Amino acid sequence: MNLDFQHCIRCTICLENCPVFRVNSDFPGPKQSGPDSQRFRCDGETPVDHWITLCSQCRRCEIACPYGVNPAEIILREQLDYGKKHYRPLVSRLFSRVYYLGNLISLIAPVANRLVSVKIVRRLMAFTGISDYLKLPPYRFHAMKRSWRWKGSHKSKRKVAFFYGCYLNYNRPDIGRKIRDLFASAGFRVVLPGQVCCGLPALGNGDLAAARRLAGRNVSILEEYIDRGFDILYSCTSCGLMLTQCYPGILDMEGGKKIAENTYNIHEYLLKLMDEGLLNLIFESVTEKAAYHIPCHLKALGIGYPGAMLLERIPGLEITVMDDLCCGLAGTYGLRKKNQDTSYRLGIIAARALRDTGASYIITDCATCRLQLSQLSGMPARDPAEILFESLKGSVNMKRKKKL
Amino acid sequence: MNKGTYDAVVIGGGMSGLTAAITLCDAGKTVAVISKGDPVCCLSTGCVDILNSTDEPFDGISSLPFGHPYGLVEQDLIIEACEHFMETAARGSLPYAGSIHKNRHLITPIGMKKTTCLVPKTMEHANCDENEGIHIVSFRGLKDFFPSYIMLQYSNTGCSIFDASVSSTIGIAERFEDERFRETFADWLSRQHIPEGKIAIPAVLGIRSSFSIYKELSQRTGRTFFEIPTLPPSLPGIRLFKCMKQAFLARGGHLYWGSEIASVEKLGAIIEGVTLKNPGRVGRVQGRAFILASGSFISGGLFARMDSVQETVFGLPVYYPENRSGWFKDSFFSRGHQIEKAGVEVDSSFRPLADAPFKNLFICGSIMARSEVMKYGCGHGLAIATGYAAARSCEGFVR
Ligand SMILES: Cc1cc2nc3c(=O)[nH]c(=O)nc-3n(C[C@H](O)[C@H](O)[C@H](O)COP(=O)(O)OP(=O)(O)OC[C@H]3O[C@@H](n4cnc5c(N)ncnc54)[C@H](O)[C@@H]3O)c2cc1C
Ligand code: SF4
Ligand code: SF4
Repeated sequence: MNLDFQHCIRCTICLENCPVFRVNSDFPGPKQSGPDSQRFRCDGETPVDHWITLCSQCRRCEIACPYGVNPAEIILREQLDYGKKHYRPLVSRLFSRVYYLGNLISLIAPVANRLVSVKIVRRLMAFTGISDYLKLPPYRFHAMKRSWRWKGSHKSKRKVAFFYGCYLNYNRPDIGRKIRDLFASAGFRVVLPGQVCCGLPALGNGDLAAARRLAGRNVSILEEYIDRGFDILYSCTSCGLMLTQCYPGILDMEGGKKIAENTYNIHEYLLKLMDEGLLNLIFESVTEKAAYHIPCHLKALGIGYPGAMLLERIPGLEITVMDDLCCGLAGTYGLRKKNQDTSYRLGIIAARALRDTGASYIITDCATCRLQLSQLSGMPARDPAEILFESLKGSVNMKRKKKL
Repeated sequence: MNKGTYDAVVIGGGMSGLTAAITLCDAGKTVAVISKGDPVCCLSTGCVDILNSTDEPFDGISSLPFGHPYGLVEQDLIIEACEHFMETAARGSLPYAGSIHKNRHLITPIGMKKTTCLVPKTMEHANCDENEGIHIVSFRGLKDFFPSYIMLQYSNTGCSIFDASVSSTIGIAERFEDERFRETFADWLSRQHIPEGKIAIPAVLGIRSSFSIYKELSQRTGRTFFEIPTLPPSLPGIRLFKCMKQAFLARGGHLYWGSEIASVEKLGAIIEGVTLKNPGRVGRVQGRAFILASGSFISGGLFARMDSVQETVFGLPVYYPENRSGWFKDSFFSRGHQIEKAGVEVDSSFRPLADAPFKNLFICGSIMARSEVMKYGCGHGLAIATGYAAARSCEGFVR
């Protein structure tokens, strides 16, 4: 058993930061669900505190705790144990397999997209335990995995493998392909490695075994690229959290540490190259006001918010960074009927705060944040990469002489 | 030099660190703040203690014993720092009231009085005398708030209880952010036939928009309200911290939150960068100057071993009372435990004293030696004054 919980001084700082606790009084919050209860939990015992499943794993408690206690992880372990020893509802089983579902749906994308708007299908989904207040994003047949697998010269010494993740794969392959092309035009050799879901939905829905299976496949593929001199890039912040923290951490994957050490957020990577004088991006100036929302999982990555830090360099783009909002959806959390109310309320709080900035649109890295925030605020929500391409208009200039 | 190098990197996101960071942003510098977690400000009353051991804090500062860090800040700069704070808070929709020349006395949840100086406007009317009529409005199930204790101290006091259907301060505060809830509450209040006089309410009037909620409630009911700070989780402390953090972000500052410093990169007497402890790959932040505002023992800026005290980030020399047996007084609650004097000694430019190991490092806040924050009651005040002054000194260096 991990004994970090003993460092807890019961200061309640984690509680102050828990979005779920704010709006759902059934959830006693991270202090009680985490370190406080941990003292009474024994290995091998069947967990009875069913309210731990109300935690959305946003990780805000972990970021806030000044004493190195990690309430989110204590809770996650308990959630997994709970999932193992109790009947898991159909909706959890479905969501832990979103990857396979996505695979299937994208094959019949045009039909599937129309189906979800049919009333009876929506009813059926509600019956399964899926919440119904959001319009789900359409799936694309021409997924990332059906795109051209590599770009850029074979001979280039700078090599990156792009872990695009499920959302770009099935829902926004257009953004994914632009990211690929951006690195290619900067003189990189880019590959789209064969990959499966990072495993987060499985982990969040109480299925450790499934998460480890998926992680195992990714590790073996990515390791091979790393050995051949590639850096791994991700754009989805939750995939990033899995690759860099959960693989070596809670999933305890062999090779996980190697993945973590060689994996970068795309904007973090571009910033690093620019700051080292290796890459020159020439932005066209704009006159726009945007609100940047830091996704919880980006916060948890501990790398600042490189997307916004990069976009701030676009002349004329005025960005208000919002640090304390949780969109509430938390991946598949808010898509479950039982969390719908919590998710909706948090979404409204965040949407209002973003509207109050007076910005004309929202920028945020996480696709589920965008889904929730755009629908609840009525403002367009965009991926930082989209803004980046628009202001670049093709003028990427890699200094070829220096070595990376 | 790396193009991503900040003019100044502040370590510690508490009152002193954020004050320094905001001051440097206002001077046009690029600034990053690194903090391993939320600061003690979140546990505080949100009121700014300047010096509680006297009634006239500003005048009292000059009679503090030699070596107290307040003594390093010029008098004009202390006034400027407080004005700068009041202005920053007001711009962040969290206006403060009070003057550094006169202390106030607030009612606490257990009926005692707390001395302090600058208070959020939602507590502006909390100066009460024992015979004044006060009516307390509390909430069903609310823990850590005791109207009956207050009623024992104030003879003319009544009390009503509202059922908000949640019982945590944070849960109730979130409800107050909702207009319909406020309407229901105001309607209920007007039906209570509360006798004339002030109405006291635990500090739950919202999280993000407390002042506008307070104003609206006063206008709607035509009554004078004041908030009473509660035990942690304490909304006024959270509001103050969030307001300072947002003020920093609004000025273009960058936050690296949740990461502890793993190591320091130095070249001779110059610190070039720090690395951040992350579960994945270590991060790296570079700066031309560094400000250490990592707080005292409670925040981990200082760490006590059996026979010594360490500074945890740079391993700076620390002043502490020699003999461990003299560190503590017999009673936990007595003021002036000697160990409170422990900290980093600095010179008049806020650089660490002694052999001045680093030229581009500045120190501020409760990590400073001989600050004795609890004894003198000077927590946020000292943080604001030294944060501001250290930033000024740092600004001169990076100019
Ligand atoms: C319970 C309590 C209540 C109080 N109430 C009041 C009050 O009502 N009014 C008042 O004026 N004062 C009050 N005080 C005192 C006051 O809060 C503090 O003196 C003051 O806020 C200190 O601010 P600081 O910036 O120096 O340090 P802190 O607020 O302690 O901030 C230090 C920051 O540094 C970070 N840090 C530490 N080590 C590292 C590291 N290695 N790497 C990265 N980051 C690090 C910490 O996480 C923390 O965020 C109270 C204190 C306590 C303990
Ligand atoms: S887990 Fe951390 S933040 Fe939460 S009460 Fe314990 S010490 Fe405080
Ligand atoms: S992970 Fe998020 S929802 Fe879960 S306890 Fe922590 S702050 Fe609350």
